[in-house]
Amino acid sequence: MPICELRGVSRTYGSGPAKVHAVREIDLVIEAGEFTVFVGPSGSGKTTLLNMVGCLDQPSEGEVLIEGRPTAGLSDRALAHLRAERIGFIFQAFNLIPVLTAVENVELAVQLGGGGDGRARARQALAEVGLTGLEGRRPNQLSGGQQQRVAIARALVRKPALVIADEPTANLDSANGAQVLELMRELNEKHGTTFIFSTHDAMVMEHARRTVFLHDGRIARDEVRAAPAPRAGEGR
Amino acid sequence: MSFLLRLALRNLVRNARRTVLSTSAIVVGVFYLVLGQAMVGGVEEGIVRSAEDGLTGHVLIRAADYPDEGLSHPVDVLLDLPEPARAVLQERARASVPRTLFVATLVAGADSLRLRGIGFDPVEDVKVFPRETWKVDGKVPATAEDGVLLGAGAAAMLGIGPGTRVVLQTRTHAGALNALEVPVSGIVSTGNIAIDQVSAYVPHALVAGLIADPRPSHFGVRLAHRDEAPAVAAALAPALGDGFEVVTWEEETRELLRMQKIRRRALDAFVGVLLLMSSFGIANTILMAAHERVREIGTLRAMGLSRRGVLALFLMEGGLMGVVSGLLGAGLGGAGAWWFSVHPLDLSEMGAKGMGGNIQFSTWLYARFDPAMLVAPVLISVAVALLASAWPARSASRMAPAEAVRAA
Ligand SMILES: Nc1ncnc2c1ncn2[C@@H]1O[C@H](COP(=O)(O)OP(=O)(O)O)[C@@H](O)[C@H]1O
Ligand SMILES: [Mg+2]
Repeated sequence: MPICELRGVSRTYGSGPAKVHAVREIDLVIEAGEFTVFVGPSGSGKTTLLNMVGCLDQPSEGEVLIEGRPTAGLSDRALAHLRAERIGFIFQAFNLIPVLTAVENVELAVQLGGGGDGRARARQALAEVGLTGLEGRRPNQLSGGQQQRVAIARALVRKPALVIADEPTANLDSANGAQVLELMRELNEKHGTTFIFSTHDAMVMEHARRTVFLHDGRIARDEVRAAPAPRAGEGR
Repeated sequence: MSFLLRLALRNLVRNARRTVLSTSAIVVGVFYLVLGQAMVGGVEEGIVRSAEDGLTGHVLIRAADYPDEGLSHPVDVLLDLPEPARAVLQERARASVPRTLFVATLVAGADSLRLRGIGFDPVEDVKVFPRETWKVDGKVPATAEDGVLLGAGAAAMLGIGPGTRVVLQTRTHAGALNALEVPVSGIVSTGNIAIDQVSAYVPHALVAGLIADPRPSHFGVRLAHRDEAPAVAAALAPALGDGFEVVTWEEETRELLRMQKIRRRALDAFVGVLLLMSSFGIANTILMAAHERVREIGTLRAMGLSRRGVLALFLMEGGLMGVVSGLLGAGLGGAGAWWFSVHPLDLSEMGAKGMGGNIQFSTWLYARFDPAMLVAPVLISVAVALLASAWPARSASRMAPAEAVRAA
């Protein structure tokens, strides 16, 4: 069963002459374990589409199914529960809670999902992204790359089925960006977690196995690479 | 929920200055509420106490239509208690003592002063009218030979002290003029202005001679508890029959306490306005917090916090401000109330001179302190804070998460 299925999904903003068609009639299936990137110029609908896949936003038309179940009729609480249980988010601007330390930010994800043993799991997740020793730092005491690693730990600590990352490297320099992508790839392979991310950076998209090109809210091309892209540091 | 509480606390602490500013009005409001209640309660208690302990007891028996305003104490009607009334007192009262109130002129050398004579039984009187608060210069007369006990205010006006010989002039029961030369046995400060300024305690044996009648004008009654007064008064009335009047401490102090109720209402209104003002401050703070933290709200929603969770988070921030400021205000107000319950304010300095006559009012104002009275103000403070945050918290919970996560 696919992790996520979009059937005839459209999303418009506003109404009348100011109406914007951000996403138009998209059909898309994401299988478990995929490492997929949405590519397109700014304004092509990447963020809008990711938000609907992540059940943070509802389509104007069409339906979104998560693990086979339609999400259209779900209450706010049910959607929140679904996000807490099944979906992790990574943002372009990291979006860490400024008043919480690194470990508390991660722990918060465990607690929001109603899980126990949050502190230990948060430490373990931070260790997995290579941040052991920095658990007690506040976001403003961490570099951008470190902050995004905390965000990755936070998105993954509850072992979601699907992780959504909207331009995760856009606020990082290329070295840090490459490291973050490398980390996501590693976690994808290790845990089988499905990753969907977006970028308008050609270098970033090389890390993906499947690339969905968006243009004006439509899918222009959908490519699956036979072999995984070469890993950073392995030649080229 | 505990992680939301932690988050709420952290955010309040991070904006400590703003938090303090917006809660200070609540702190002040609760402080005034607690201290004001304690003071007004203390005044009320003082009024009741000094009436009870000085002039009325728990229940007072006197002639029907006895004038209870101004300084006029006719001795036209003197009392013989009927047997059924004695039986009621025997059964239900702790003690009852006779007293005779009469208007006398006290002459000391060239000076004279009109005052209220209180005829009393030197031995028994204390069973109904306690003397713990009395400060006596000289001594309380134990017998008729000792003479009279003069209120400190009256003594000061005449410039006399213990040992001075004075002349008491009054009218007998039959209406003739009479006078008696007696020594001043002592000078008393009871704390009750009505007594200290214008009264003299005269042993019954002397009064009987002065008014040429051994009967008293009043009976003061002390009960096991002041709350029994209405029931005992109701039992006494039929036993006494016509010609008598039975009044309780409550009836005697009602007029004065009504003034206190107005004072209490004025305090409530003042505190109400303060709390209303502070609610705007809190509402504004929560609204600002919600606007500053749009992205955080979106992120929390993405992480699986429901709308109700966001509502709860901001209500907690508001509620916590209410809890902290309520506790602080109640703590400060309570400390003040406690202090003044142990160290009374001396009102005799503060224009108390204008309150002569029959107004019964202690010159020492003790605050009424009871830890239980801190509970309601804290709850009020929390309620105000929660109400004030309700609308901003609701608007925070209504933000569309997809847009909120992108906010700057
Ligand atoms: N809240 C909104 N209101 C109106 N238009 C919007 C809103 N969000 C996005 N859009 C428009 O929808 C289109 C797609 O935007 P977006 O999904 O952000 O694209 P991308 O992430 O690829 O840059 C753009 O034209 C954008 O201006
Ligand atoms: Mg975008």
